[in-house]
Amino acid sequence: MSRPSKPSLTDNPLDDICPVCKSNRYLNPSLQFLINPECYHKMCSTCVDRIFTSGPTCCPVPRCGKTLRKRGFHQAFFGDLKIEEECDIRKRVGDVFNRRQEDFETLRHWNDYLQDVEDLVFDLVKGSAKTKRRAEETLEEYRVKNLAVIEENKKAGQEAASLERQREKAEREAAKQRRLAMAREEEEEKMDVEKMKRSALDRLANSNEDANAIARQAQKGILKKTSARRTLTDAPTNESTTSVRDSGLSIRGLKKKVAPVVEKEYDPFGGIDLTPTRYILQDHYENDYLAGFVKGQPTAMTGGYSLHEYYGRSMLEAFSGLGVFIEDEIASRNQPAAMATIKAEARDDVF
Amino acid sequence: MKFNIEDLPILFPYPRIYPEQYAYMCDLKKTLDAGGHCVLEMPSGTGKTVSLLSLIVAYQQYYPEHRKLIYCSRTMSEIEKALAELKALMKYREEQLGYKEDFRGLGLTSRKNLCLHPLVKREKSGAVVDARCRSLTAGFVKEKKDRGEDVPVCIYHDNLDHLEPHNLIPNGVWTLDGIMRYGEEHKQCPYFTSRRMMSFCNVIIYSYHYLLDPKIAERVSKELSKDCIVVFDEAHNIDNVCIESLSTDITEDSLRKATRGAQNLESKISEMKDNDSEKLMNEYAKLVEGLRDADEARQEDAFMSNPALPDDLLNEAVPGNIRRAEHFVAFLKRFIEYLKTRMKVRQVISETPLSFLAHLKEYTFIEKKPLRFCAERLTSLVRTLELTNIEDYQPLQEVATFATLVATYEKGFLLILEPYESDTAEVPNPVLHFTCLDAAIAIKPVFDRFSSVIITSGTISPLEMYPKMLGFETVVQESYSMTLARRSFLPMIVTRGSDQVPVSSGFAVRNEPSVVRNYGNLLTEFSKLTPDGMVVFFPSYLYMESIISMWQGMGILDEVWKYKLILVETPDAQETSLALETYRTACCNGRGAILLCVARGKVSEGIDFDHQYGRTVLCIGVPFQYTESRILKARLEFLRETYRIRENDFLSFDAMRHAAQCLGRVLRGKDDYGIMVLADKRFLKKRNQLPKWINQAILESEVNLSTDMAVGSAKKFLRGMAQPFKNVDQEGISTWSLADLEKHKEKQDEENIRALQEAQREAMEGGAIQREVDMDEFDDDEAEAGMMELDG
Repeated sequence: MSRPSKPSLTDNPLDDICPVCKSNRYLNPSLQFLINPECYHKMCSTCVDRIFTSGPTCCPVPRCGKTLRKRGFHQAFFGDLKIEEECDIRKRVGDVFNRRQEDFETLRHWNDYLQDVEDLVFDLVKGSAKTKRRAEETLEEYRVKNLAVIEENKKAGQEAASLERQREKAEREAAKQRRLAMAREEEEEKMDVEKMKRSALDRLANSNEDANAIARQAQKGILKKTSARRTLTDAPTNESTTSVRDSGLSIRGLKKKVAPVVEKEYDPFGGIDLTPTRYILQDHYENDYLAGFVKGQPTAMTGGYSLHEYYGRSMLEAFSGLGVFIEDEIASRNQPAAMATIKAEARDDVF
Repeated sequence: MKFNIEDLPILFPYPRIYPEQYAYMCDLKKTLDAGGHCVLEMPSGTGKTVSLLSLIVAYQQYYPEHRKLIYCSRTMSEIEKALAELKALMKYREEQLGYKEDFRGLGLTSRKNLCLHPLVKREKSGAVVDARCRSLTAGFVKEKKDRGEDVPVCIYHDNLDHLEPHNLIPNGVWTLDGIMRYGEEHKQCPYFTSRRMMSFCNVIIYSYHYLLDPKIAERVSKELSKDCIVVFDEAHNIDNVCIESLSTDITEDSLRKATRGAQNLESKISEMKDNDSEKLMNEYAKLVEGLRDADEARQEDAFMSNPALPDDLLNEAVPGNIRRAEHFVAFLKRFIEYLKTRMKVRQVISETPLSFLAHLKEYTFIEKKPLRFCAERLTSLVRTLELTNIEDYQPLQEVATFATLVATYEKGFLLILEPYESDTAEVPNPVLHFTCLDAAIAIKPVFDRFSSVIITSGTISPLEMYPKMLGFETVVQESYSMTLARRSFLPMIVTRGSDQVPVSSGFAVRNEPSVVRNYGNLLTEFSKLTPDGMVVFFPSYLYMESIISMWQGMGILDEVWKYKLILVETPDAQETSLALETYRTACCNGRGAILLCVARGKVSEGIDFDHQYGRTVLCIGVPFQYTESRILKARLEFLRETYRIRENDFLSFDAMRHAAQCLGRVLRGKDDYGIMVLADKRFLKKRNQLPKWINQAILESEVNLSTDMAVGSAKKFLRGMAQPFKNVDQEGISTWSLADLEKHKEKQDEENIRALQEAQREAMEGGAIQREVDMDEFDDDEAEAGMMELDG
């Protein structure tokens, strides 16, 4: 988005000299420095071309000894190369430790997690060789262990980012529309005033009325119109802004709603619980009749016959009547009926 | 003078009162009773401050709530003036009442103005005084002293600890001079006396910033209760103050210094780790628990504060990744490096905080949340490390404040990076402006917290603009006209030169020789006829310079020189004050002088040209803002988008309030007189935007004048003013004695009664005609009986 486009002399003279070939920005204004994230040693683009075009070679900086490829070179984003390195490490760590605050139960846990990650980064950046190695190991270990979670969080993060981008875009679009509408309004208003003025002039030229009266009338008309327009424009545009905002919000809301629905399974019974309450269906029942010919015979099973189905059905049949007391039900059904008849009789009496 | 408004007895320290003062007080009382906000415009020089103070003090003393008054003004001299008025008022009250009221009034200004420490007060810059004072008075310095270490302390500050904390200074009104003298006598620090006594006084008078700047307000004005009466005097520029208090500029130099500060912090941390790691651990433990605990430890000596953090955030704990001191410093360094990289860009960039944050996150993996806590975390760290040379960390603090602001506010702010100072500059000097576009953000806490906020000034037209821009609702909105026994000021609009060529400072014509010559003629003519002082305002320094050089070429300045001394305002404050001094001398000894100044400069705000110091004010051109500024453009767009204020409406409003402010400079009282000339054809249409009291005084015959006509009427006006004018003539018209006031009240009461009766009659009409007839008959009978008796 905003890389330094035109290099120029900086205040610090050391920033303007290539440490490898010692060429100077003063003599070569197009000097460009590149780094390789293997060792973060800075050199100019000419040096890179000169040394690495023929294939991977050792870094020319004394006592570095890392083998570098031309492909790995790029411009540094930061002036301070240590920060550049740190940010690259952060990127690596951030790709692995990408949990979000929602994953944690309390703020405290989230903060502790953040601190642990920060500690790890610090070990990687500033630690001695030993701590560095240990940190690398931890990182790798965590990565292997939590591959699925990492992937998921990554996706979620991308989704959130794209959503944010979309929202911003929509907002910008809305602002643009508003601006256009306002410009149009102003234009119209100007035209209106112009028209009124012209008609007033025409009347002055053609009719025999008092000139002052016409002028006054025209002035009043213009004033009234502009003020009316102003109040008019104020009201609906306010509405439109709120509605625009609303729609932006609802888009956000929708996405959020979609996500939990996907997680929930579809329930064809609409929440009715079909698990039996009076018995527990077991996987296997001792039954001589079944054991005799069904079990172990593929011919009996191939048609789709399922023993579980059979168990479930027979158990349901066995228990289906339990807990239902017919007398009680009849009694309760009769009572209101009886009441009703009594009432009917009473009414009959009146007549 | 003693009178009542409704049930409230008011003691007014003068034997006479102006009618507009009375009206002003009535409206003030209405506002206070209703418990809302108001915008009041009262002509300059009509005793606004004294009427405000006398009403509010009476209100305080009469009603049992004893609501505290917070009076905010703009400059030191205005604060002094208000304190002096208050002192006189309280003296008068004491004489009238016969006993001393339990009353305390204090003023507060910066440490630089109030310091008594022999070494510290010698420093010239306010920032240095602040820093050195803190290094002598901070809490840990005292701890060290108690431990027996040999550290320098301020005796004036430490003496305060021996006094009762609620009674550091006796009752009464203390002017700044007074409190300094008292401090010297009793060896106690005036600054901290005022600060600590704030919750125990009835009236506090201080500068806007103590209430509006969230960086200071949090610290100074935190304990003020909700029912305080807040007054913003001279508030016509309040929106700009609000905006400035939330905007920051970051330059390459400040980033360099901030880096150095961060490095210093790092070395201090490692030092402390070796010697005294316990302290760091303590801080860490506190931060784990949450900010509030750390907040409790914060005292008045804290070196900075969080800018307008929402309360719910304050209750939250600091994010884990900046909890450790070294983590936080690395975090800051990363942020500064990022800013440095952004500064290298050579084209103008303007972006919203949101997109800035997104880009920041992409490159440095800095999240929004820790960024928000930046300022607060830095404060805590600085306190833990017990740093004394705080001025070294000022740039770092700026960066931290910027970080907090950018992460806190999504709307109403904009980041603008300008790599070059001007369009033609070759050497880059990048500045990152973080500008607040919405004046309502800074002032919102004030409106939310205090039930009555009064915004008042001499020129605050159009009134409805302010509630719109600052986002509040008013109970009373009033503009008062000036009652005058004679026409004591002559506002005129000059649109043409003597040769009928229209004059204007519009960009297209401003440098045309005919326009410049006509302005020159205007200047010469008025320099001839004006006695003593004359003030000329230009829209900008740039235009002033170019027009002066052209006048020099045309020989106009030589002509003017025959009549008046010519002095010029410059951006340099010291030069200007020297010019002002010379101007005053020349006005007093009869030589007479012309001061050429700029409508947005120092002279136009807060310097009065009363009596002989200013008999004519000449406003050359409409003082529009520099519209090409990117910050202004962004603000205009924001105003249009959010508050539906059009660009042109705002620009013209802003220009006219400055013009009005310039005009108001010459008229500072009812016995003063002066000529006000608005020289631009565009003023013709903008006339309605002037304050009511000026606009009403412009006669139709003096609206569209050419130079010679203006000269004619000015001469006539001055002749009239030269006639002896006795105070007696004013009485009953522009000044009221008690009797006049009573008469006015009676009249008003009668009018009220009549209005009521009328309303009643209208309601009765229709159904009650019959009864009325009966009554009439009865009345007649009675009257007849009375007559008979008389006869007998």
